[in-house]
Amino acid sequence: MNRREFIKKAALAGITLSLPDGLISLAGSAEAARQIDLVVVQGSSPSKIVRAAVDGMGGMKRFVSRGDIVVVKPNIGWDRTPERAANTNPQVVAAVVALCLEAGARKVKVFDRPVNDARRCYKQSGIADAAAAAGAEVSYIDERRFKEVRLGGLALKSWPLYQDILEADKVINVPIAKHHGLATLTMAMKNWMGVMGGSRGRIHQNLDEALVDVARTVRPALTILDAVRILTANGPQGGDLRDVKRLDTVIAGVDQVAVDSFGATLFGMKGGDLGYVVAGHRAGLGRMDITKLKVKKIKA
Amino acid sequence: MNIMNLRRAVQGFFLLLFLFLFLQTETKGDNTLGYPVKLFLDFDPLISFSSLLSSRAVTGAFFLSVLILLLTAVLGRVFCGWICPLGTLNNLAGLLKKKQKGHIPPGSRRIKYYLLIFLLASSLFTLQLTGIVDPLSLLIRSFSLSIYPLFNSAVRAVFETLYALQVPAVTDFSEWIYSILKKSVLSFQQPYFIQGVFLGLFFFVILALNLVEKRLWCKYLCPLGALLGVFSRFSPLRRSLSEGCNDCGLCSAACQGGALHGSDRSWETSECLYCMNCDDLCPHNAVSFGFGRPASTAMDLGRRNVISSFLAGIVAVPLLRTGPFSRSGYSHPKLIRPPGSLEEGKFLERCVKCGECMKVCVTNGLQPALTEAGLEGIWSPVLVPRMGYCEYGCTLCGQVCPTGAIRKLTPDEKKKTRIGLAVIDRGRCLPHSYSTPCIVCEEVCPTPKKAIWLEKVKVKDGNGKEVILRQPRVDLERCIGCGICETKCPVLGMPAIYITSLGESRSKENRLLL
Repeated sequence: MNRREFIKKAALAGITLSLPDGLISLAGSAEAARQIDLVVVQGSSPSKIVRAAVDGMGGMKRFVSRGDIVVVKPNIGWDRTPERAANTNPQVVAAVVALCLEAGARKVKVFDRPVNDARRCYKQSGIADAAAAAGAEVSYIDERRFKEVRLGGLALKSWPLYQDILEADKVINVPIAKHHGLATLTMAMKNWMGVMGGSRGRIHQNLDEALVDVARTVRPALTILDAVRILTANGPQGGDLRDVKRLDTVIAGVDQVAVDSFGATLFGMKGGDLGYVVAGHRAGLGRMDITKLKVKKIKA
Repeated sequence: MNIMNLRRAVQGFFLLLFLFLFLQTETKGDNTLGYPVKLFLDFDPLISFSSLLSSRAVTGAFFLSVLILLLTAVLGRVFCGWICPLGTLNNLAGLLKKKQKGHIPPGSRRIKYYLLIFLLASSLFTLQLTGIVDPLSLLIRSFSLSIYPLFNSAVRAVFETLYALQVPAVTDFSEWIYSILKKSVLSFQQPYFIQGVFLGLFFFVILALNLVEKRLWCKYLCPLGALLGVFSRFSPLRRSLSEGCNDCGLCSAACQGGALHGSDRSWETSECLYCMNCDDLCPHNAVSFGFGRPASTAMDLGRRNVISSFLAGIVAVPLLRTGPFSRSGYSHPKLIRPPGSLEEGKFLERCVKCGECMKVCVTNGLQPALTEAGLEGIWSPVLVPRMGYCEYGCTLCGQVCPTGAIRKLTPDEKKKTRIGLAVIDRGRCLPHSYSTPCIVCEEVCPTPKKAIWLEKVKVKDGNGKEVILRQPRVDLERCIGCGICETKCPVLGMPAIYITSLGESRSKENRLLL
């Protein structure tokens, strides 16, 4: 517990003690939200379900403090339009950006290191325009800002990671759920490939452990998994609309292993089927047994 | 404002317009550019004329170039003196030389006509070499493949150095300037081109010729100048001298073209660039330009020389086709043409090697050919997938091609256009040869049903331990040869998967499947 947190808790306790009965339950609901591990929201409006999911987790103020510099990290890996479900839904990204700013963030940065041409990915995904309109600072990767970081992991001893993500006050991961030839599914943990520099194609030689190594270093304050549309085959970039399934769902959680483990159920699998989820669980990065998690389901 | 300064202002305007359109030849993320970036080439009558001869087809902007010919027929070579951006650059380079004239005999002015005759004769027999020396094609190619990469490299080096030094305040300021330059005049990523050095030297030599004689290129060598010279032959806009002329020699010394040589009184329409130096400089106000009966003098090219040039142009055609490239069934495995390219013979009849497609290519994968297409196809575009792949949804190269050598495709057509085939080098492939997992080629394969698929196999590693691997395989029907697998293959140097031209849609011969 740091000083800021201590003062907050002390103040909360003080307020709670001095409040009339009716309001105590209100303050208690914020406390109750902290007990919830995952919030799963379904509804037709991407921005509404994102708001409901974040509210379900206790509101964005729980994760973002006034004056914070926040990185919102979507998947902008491919030169594909939103209906093809290869990149994070632009409305989901915009809603997260807006929530961060409403919570008092000083600056919200949005970027990714795409596989296809960055200009086309940013534009065709709709994310650059949507995030900028919501008030984010959208930028292309600046190769100079990759700094070699000691990871000391099982697969990666060190790797160049993007400085902005390491220096940010808070990081919010906004991946999309989709199929992948090697990882089977790619969701939250694999999204960190977008902050890796160098010849990152090599990590596929030991992908599961490598993902855990990076995810351990880049610890997000919150993960919001976009399953508005999911890609069920020919991932991670797809292209055929028949491979896209509309679920109108987002999943929010603090534990990235738990989010990925629950995400697997969207595809009729379980977390244990995914090597990196198992590896993450084993490394103590998070919990994969969703039967032991407190999951709140909402329709919005 | 005197007319000389007006001319300079107009030249400046067209040079800036040229540079602006050049900078716009780069995507901002859309599949369109928003500006008519090939405008100067569209107006180039030498390109459209020689293409008409070589391909027996009217290029898209043929009628625009006819406008230039009409303009020339009435006003003379004003294009050379007032519009041509290479002419303006020659003017600027010429500032480094004090005297206007050198010691080149005036007869050398005929060289450009012989060159023109040579080129048109070749074109008539389907050999398109014009673009190599056409001033606009040459300029765009030199800028795209060499001068602009040079500029980018130099500017980046300065700002990267300031960034690396991290001088307080100074670096903040330099980064601010750098960010402005990145948004305006720098390219999105540093471009790299095979032969960039050589093409740059070729261009600098042309500029340096101004030190021998100002506008040497325009006076003696430029085939477009020669073509316009022919069309200006009967231009009614002519120079006349009044009684006041005392043969002081000022005007012939200041003549930018080759219109006044030796004497102030002789004047040749077809050599005049209408720079108006003589009009402005004459101390006696004896020079004036006005409409009148066309001057009748014509340069004597010499019948034998004309015939020789014509024959040389004809002989060049079979000479350049003695390589294996014209042999039936032969195709260079690395001759991977951009999507929408015509069948190779037709392609070469049209491609003017202007470099527009290479400038606009989003991945920097399109590179100038050296020998892949024979000498005839030097500097024509080939995809070098190790440098960059063909972006699945992009059709920009076909949009900027001035002659239709690369057809304009719709994105849907493009996605079905096969430019080659991926071949796996099993000896280098990690899962095939080294019992090591890797799926990068499959991951990046962009076809909706992936052309690269993975086969699960059980193999033993070096310790005899059984491992399950996914080995990539290529589907012959689905692969379009875009090359992203080769670009992204983590086996650096020689890749474990590479593209050959085999199976390209444009060829009836270069096939593999039934």
